[in-house]
Amino acid sequence: MPASITARLQGTLAAAGLGIGVAIASTMPATAQTYPTRTVEVIHAFGPGGGADRFIRAIGESFQAATGRSMIPISIQGGGGLPAAVNFMQRPATGYNLYSYSPDDVINQALGRLDLSDFRPVARIQYDQALLLVAADSPYQSIEDVIEAARAAPGDIKVAVTGAAGFDDAVIGVWNAESGAELTSIPFAAAEMVSNTLGGHIDMMFEEYGIVRGLIEAEDLRPLVVFSNERLPVLPDVPTAQELGYDVTLGRWRGIAVRRDTDDAVVQQLFELLRAASETDNYRRVEEESALQYRSEILGPDEFEAFIEQELETYTSVMRQMGYAN
Amino acid sequence: MLDAYLSALGYMFGNPMTFVLILFSLLWGIAFGAVPGLTGIVGVALLIPFTFAFDPIEGMLLLGGVYVGATFGGAISAILFNTPGSPEAACTALDGYPMAQKGQAGKALGFALAASAIGGIVGTLALMFLTPPLAKLALTFGPSEYFALAVLGITAIASIGGGSVLKGLIAGLLGLAVATVGMDPLTGVARYTFGNMLLLTGIGFVPAIIGIFALSEVAHRYGQGMKKQEVITNVSTDLPSIREFIQTRITLLRSSFIGTVIGVLPGVGATTAAFISYSEAVRWSRNPKKFGTGTPDGIAAPECANSAAVGGSMIPLLALGIPGSATTAVMIGGLTIHGIIPGPMLVQNNADLVYSVFIGMMLANVVMLFFGLRAARYFAIILRVPYPVVGAAIVVLCVSGVFALNNNMVEVAVMLAFGAVGLLLKRVGFPVAAFIIGLVLGPIVEVSLRQGLILTDYDLWAFASRPITLTLLIISFASLLYGFWGQFRSTPPNDPPSDENAEPVRA
Repeated sequence: MPASITARLQGTLAAAGLGIGVAIASTMPATAQTYPTRTVEVIHAFGPGGGADRFIRAIGESFQAATGRSMIPISIQGGGGLPAAVNFMQRPATGYNLYSYSPDDVINQALGRLDLSDFRPVARIQYDQALLLVAADSPYQSIEDVIEAARAAPGDIKVAVTGAAGFDDAVIGVWNAESGAELTSIPFAAAEMVSNTLGGHIDMMFEEYGIVRGLIEAEDLRPLVVFSNERLPVLPDVPTAQELGYDVTLGRWRGIAVRRDTDDAVVQQLFELLRAASETDNYRRVEEESALQYRSEILGPDEFEAFIEQELETYTSVMRQMGYAN
Repeated sequence: MLDAYLSALGYMFGNPMTFVLILFSLLWGIAFGAVPGLTGIVGVALLIPFTFAFDPIEGMLLLGGVYVGATFGGAISAILFNTPGSPEAACTALDGYPMAQKGQAGKALGFALAASAIGGIVGTLALMFLTPPLAKLALTFGPSEYFALAVLGITAIASIGGGSVLKGLIAGLLGLAVATVGMDPLTGVARYTFGNMLLLTGIGFVPAIIGIFALSEVAHRYGQGMKKQEVITNVSTDLPSIREFIQTRITLLRSSFIGTVIGVLPGVGATTAAFISYSEAVRWSRNPKKFGTGTPDGIAAPECANSAAVGGSMIPLLALGIPGSATTAVMIGGLTIHGIIPGPMLVQNNADLVYSVFIGMMLANVVMLFFGLRAARYFAIILRVPYPVVGAAIVVLCVSGVFALNNNMVEVAVMLAFGAVGLLLKRVGFPVAAFIIGLVLGPIVEVSLRQGLILTDYDLWAFASRPITLTLLIISFASLLYGFWGQFRSTPPNDPPSDENAEPVRA
């Protein structure tokens, strides 16, 4: 991808103090009529090939088809997403530096590490749903088995999650509080999470459907419960936590934010472009391949802002309950 | 199974473009591997959009070839300039660079290339014929086994100390300590970051390795002044003879095995494989003191293992749909974009794809061996360029490369700081290898120990008594004791230095 090479070179040159021209160009403000006149960069905290990276590339392809300007993911991994957020806040508020917004940012605010009032939500685009899964030879046939066992011996059942004190942990925390069937979460790297579950080293794992689809279809992993408002059409026999009486519907969402001091007209223009991009067939196809079409409904700047406020309340109380925040 | 191979071969001959792609991807991979900061992961990620223009089969061949090429490419800059082009080649610099310093750059490159190809071929054979059992083996490794494996690698620093077990252990423990900087992997608490949020990423071993090897070497060479710059005027481009190469056969055998098995394990890849294989080569060698001075075994061990790990890490990808390494994780993204769902059904649903990748990777390794050996000697000629020019270029590449890895300026600062650390370690005679092994294996030891203890509800015996764990721990402990015993038994001043280590150059 030549565009990505250019971005990399730009970053590299700027770092070496040679990209003065680039630096000057990036401080010029954009107006709605002229936006976008050059490449748009999206900062995200995950690795190449991961969910956020694929999300940006997919939207970016449609974005480019419509505007003739590329949209490029810039990955700054690790540190619970904070290095990416810090880098984003150091960039000028021109509308050419976007931020890939996710529940991890809300959790970072709940933990007192990030101030979300610096971010202006533009569009929520994807809304994923996660499952609890066990290996095919697990003694747990259904979620009822798990609840019964967990109530008899709270905390004895271990569930593999990714990330420490992050989104996965928070969902398990809400589940524990709601159901009283207490599970102990242990953070693993994504690949080890699967191998440890399949190998029987840990009782179960927590993961989004799209990622483990192949293993579910091969019947190596058995889904027990889905955290969403409705059952997944592809897994009609898997109950939602909600219908069991436990209100756990938190999902991983992906959206775009800019800096709070970005020009209003640019925010509106950007939202329109993103909405158009998310409605193209090309993007829809990618969405379906990752099984993200079930409850991904685009939210505009104001709705997204309200949604995040609500999320913040939830995560703040969970993080307190779990002893991560005070 | 034979049918499947014939069908895949039929496809490839029907589309001769596939062979062009293999050659192209191999060269692309070697280039990305050789330039510091541009790793195989970047090489694969950049090519994914190009695969849209092809069938998924051609796309995967392209990515597989890059992966094979990049794993060897790193060795070129590691050997010529002490600048590992990719993290998996860091270990190759330990003996490769000293050998090149003796004027035998061609020989060092030849050993690296041939060992790479042999490791790659063994890894690919394992991929072709042993995928189901090896995938099962990967699943028997839980946190306690990962812990024992990493402990095994770490205890080898007692043998790597060369002169002094004490210095080796101090350097190793320093490496372990540095590995704890950043976000606590289990609780998310910030450790030793002094309030700097960018440091939450931790001290990555790539910036640290590039600083310690490349930057400190440039500083060291510049510090010697201009006159000594012309040391290697007579660069020999002679390749190792077949006889010399066969002498490393036991190392090759051991390293192919270690590389393949470690490659199969999800989450640990070629870099860990290279270091553990080097550790074992030192541990079982009759002349452990030769390591670090430019011994062929010290080049063959890591190069063979990291290439074997390439085939190994494709095993969980194809059998289970889970990545065995960071590069294969990017490949999964590529497959998904093509509408192919990675997972256990892949071999049934996309047999032509899977078997073409097998054949493609085998071909890539064979091509690398024959064409590479001819090309290797010309790489060595770069050494005739005056060092002041080369040194400056290396510094630029290190800075831009480390930044490009993760777009994080703090990592550049880490790299600069570790340039100073590397210089210091060299001055006080601490083995750099031990430090790096601590840094690379530290996170694995910490995370797997803590995961494992939570799983067993802090029952130490339940954690340690699993068969693979216990075996590995006993070997580690015994070798540690043996190392100490050797230290006390020998009286260093009476050790007559042999020809090879008359002037030990500790990398």
